[in-house]
Amino acid sequence: MSVTDRFDGIKGVISSDSRSRKELIEGILFSLPYLVIFGTFLLYPLVMGGYMSLFDWNAIDPTQSVFIGLENYAQLMADDGFWNALKNTGYFALLTVPSILVVALGLALGVNRDIKGKGLLRAIFFSPYILTVSVTALVWIDLYSTQYGMINHYLGMIMANPPQWLQTRLTAMPAIAMTTVWWLVGFSFVILLAARQSVPEYLYEAAQLDGAGTWRQFRDVTVPQIRHAIFFVIIINIIWAAQVYGQPYVMTSGGPGKTTETLVMYLYQSAFSQRNFGYAAAIGYVLTGILVLVSIANYYFLGGDNE
Amino acid sequence: MSDSSATVNRFESFSVGDVSMRSVGVHVVMYGAALLFVLPYLYMISTSLQTQQEAVSEGMHWIPDPITFAAFTNLLTGSLIVQWAINTLIIASVTTLLVLLVDSMIAFALTRLDWPGQRYVLGLIIASFMVPGFVNIIPLYILIADLGLLNNYAAVILPFAAGPLGVFLLAQFFRDLPHELQEAAQLDGFSNLRIYTHIILPLSKSILTALALFIFVWSWNQFLWPLIVLQSEAAYTLPIGVVVLQDNFTYQPAVTMASALIASGPLFILFLLLQEQLMSAVEMQGVT
Repeated sequence: MSVTDRFDGIKGVISSDSRSRKELIEGILFSLPYLVIFGTFLLYPLVMGGYMSLFDWNAIDPTQSVFIGLENYAQLMADDGFWNALKNTGYFALLTVPSILVVALGLALGVNRDIKGKGLLRAIFFSPYILTVSVTALVWIDLYSTQYGMINHYLGMIMANPPQWLQTRLTAMPAIAMTTVWWLVGFSFVILLAARQSVPEYLYEAAQLDGAGTWRQFRDVTVPQIRHAIFFVIIINIIWAAQVYGQPYVMTSGGPGKTTETLVMYLYQSAFSQRNFGYAAAIGYVLTGILVLVSIANYYFLGGDNE
Repeated sequence: MSDSSATVNRFESFSVGDVSMRSVGVHVVMYGAALLFVLPYLYMISTSLQTQQEAVSEGMHWIPDPITFAAFTNLLTGSLIVQWAINTLIIASVTTLLVLLVDSMIAFALTRLDWPGQRYVLGLIIASFMVPGFVNIIPLYILIADLGLLNNYAAVILPFAAGPLGVFLLAQFFRDLPHELQEAAQLDGFSNLRIYTHIILPLSKSILTALALFIFVWSWNQFLWPLIVLQSEAAYTLPIGVVVLQDNFTYQPAVTMASALIASGPLFILFLLLQEQLMSAVEMQGVT
């Protein structure tokens, strides 16, 4: 073993040509296990999904599928159910993304201050993120319960008619959004805290010498210094929000009156209840298109910024 | 920290009282927020130890009276929760090992070896970040069914292992490791395989641990995809099992909360032991 190793080493020094061939072969061998999984379970389905979206797909016998071109997409544009799901998903994103950013930033700046028990606070604020979505949803169903729930028990002490959280059209989505903020804010919080901690302290000292108060320091030092982290947090939360599924599935099943039915729920319905696989694949592609645009917009905003 | 606030005091002639008032305010707000964050946990624990009558009665009963483990014994005897816990543990463990192995291998090939085309491969993998997981649900389901993998652990493990996150994080880390070590090893006649196992991997223990934890937690918590491909009750994982239980034990909050505790308890213990590593895996994702 070691003899051949040494031989290879010498050979590498002597003949760079055979060495580079060897590196090519080894490079491919080292890459192969991942590339096989990646190709089979990510790339192939991605291409296949695009192909399926052009067919009236026959789930029982795929060879009987009928090519219909962009018919699925045209149908989608005229489908009220799709627009409702898109609207609900957008509403959910609008409720959660800014709230998560504000709460995460507030908590991060608070923990970054001169405060006792930093480690404990950091762990507490992060911890809900390690829960699974169904556990989160089940706990909050009980917290929101109008019969024995904690939230209305305490709200009942200060107001006459506390909201019927998950049961009314007006409050169902905000309730789901509130749960989501609690569940996911820890991820963004940890990222923003790390970003804030890496801002050099002398910038704040200089700002103080210039007479900048807390607000000016925040606006002119903190925000510009951590803008990359802020953008990352916004983008990743938009991507998560666009794919929201588990919370409404468990908490409301899309109700009341389809006010919390999201795009992924609608896709799932189309595929597994109505067996309309081509149509569902088209829904997936439309949402991918939206998310790719979001990613490009993000790249554009950060573009020309070579720090 | 305290140094800089002392400087502030000296520069602005604020009274000490003003600063400490502010400090008290910060403490009150932050610990108030922390209390709000842990209330759902306290509710979970307290409710899981209550009798059925107490759990559905009006008002809050933070201290169960009497304390009972009936909900837990109900679950252990009247459901498949133990089987689901085993399923979840196997899936999360195998996924984690598989991801560490194949991701570190390709990250090594992409950053420490020199071969034509590696830039394109890396570019392709990173571009796949933009593909949201659910887009693939339909074709992936058909593929898994055709392969005869429905209700099989592999149906959950393999699609998860195709994700680009680990490759991306490891490639970034490997790239910054000093090249001198590798060159010295090459002169000593180390093969690339030995450089991978004896130099790169040992130098990367910290990131491998962090990544392993993150992958373990994340795959333990998967919901939508296992719900689709694990169709027989014996094959369920905990996250989908607890939802089924809630349907079976309707309006029995004590049982539901006990099942929620069982489903998330192992991850909480892991988190308490290794929180720094887990949070550093999150921090790394922010440094892009």
